[in-house]
Amino acid sequence: MVERMDEFEKELREHLQARPAPAGFADSVMRRIEGRKPRRSWGFLWQPAWRWAAVAVLAAMTVLGGLAREHQQRVAGERAREQVLLALRITGTTLNQVQHKVNEDQSPAEHHGHTIDLRP
Amino acid sequence: MDDAAQNFRAIVERHQGRVYSIAFRIVGEAGAAEEVAQDVFLELHRSLDRLESEEHVTAWLRRVACHRATDALRRRAARGDAAAEEYQDGMGLRTPVREFMPLMNRIEQLLLTLPPAQRSVLLLRYQEDLEPEDIAIEMQMPLATVRSHLQRGVKLLREKAQRTLKEYSRG
Repeated sequence: MVERMDEFEKELREHLQARPAPAGFADSVMRRIEGRKPRRSWGFLWQPAWRWAAVAVLAAMTVLGGLAREHQQRVAGERAREQVLLALRITGTTLNQVQHKVNEDQSPAEHHGHTIDLRP
Repeated sequence: MDDAAQNFRAIVERHQGRVYSIAFRIVGEAGAAEEVAQDVFLELHRSLDRLESEEHVTAWLRRVACHRATDALRRRAARGDAAAEEYQDGMGLRTPVREFMPLMNRIEQLLLTLPPAQRSVLLLRYQEDLEPEDIAIEMQMPLATVRSHLQRGVKLLREKAQRTLKEYSRG
C-alpha cells in the first residue's frame, strides 16, 4: 500500500536526497580491504597441498632428528668402547709388569738353592 | 586489481552515497560517518557470498548502515559526547540552525534532534523512499512500530521546523 505524503513530507523527501560520499571514499575502502588480506591469507595453510607439505616437513624433521640422535649415541658408544679398551690395555700392561717383577724376584732364590720345601 | 576486487569496487561506488548519507544523518559528524560507512562496506565484503542479488545487497546495506551508525552514536554517548546526546535535549538544539545554511543541512540538523530509532525510520522513508511495510521487513521491526516512529518523527520534525526554520514558520 503506497502511503500518501503531505507537503512537508514531500519536502523532506526532496531535501533528504543521498549526499555524495567524501572524495576517495571507494579508494579508502579498497585500501582497507587490501590491508586486511595478509592477516586473512594465513587461511591458505589449511588448503590440502599446504597441509600435506606441513606433514612432510614434520615427518622429515622427525626422521632427521632420530638419525642425528642415533649418530650421537653411536659416537658416544665408540668413545666408551675405546676408553674401556684403553683401560684394559693399561691394566694388561700393569699386570705384565707385576708378573715380570714377581718372576724376577723368584729367580735369584732358585739360582742360590734357596728352595722352600713346603712338604709336611 | 583482480575481477573480484573490481566488482566489489563497483558495488562500493554504486552504494557509497546511500550508506554515507544514512551514517551521516544518524551520527551527525562527517568523520565518524565516513568511518561507519567504511566499516559497513568491509562487513559487506566479508558477507558478500551470502547475498544473492543486487536488491539483497541494497537492503543489507541499508539495514547494517542504520544499525552500525546507531551503535556508533551509542558509543559516542557513552563517552559523554554532547553532540550524540543532542536528541535527549527535548525541543532545544545545542547547535543553532544557521539561516545561511542550505535547507538540506538545516533539516539534517533538525533530524539529529530526534531519537535514533526515529531517525533511521525517517531516513528509510524519505531518503530511501521505502514504504512502511518495506521498512518493517528490512529493519525486522513490527509495522505498528514503524508507523509510530514515522508519525511521531514527522510530527516532532514539523514542530521543530516551524519553530526554527523561516521556510516553515507559521503566519
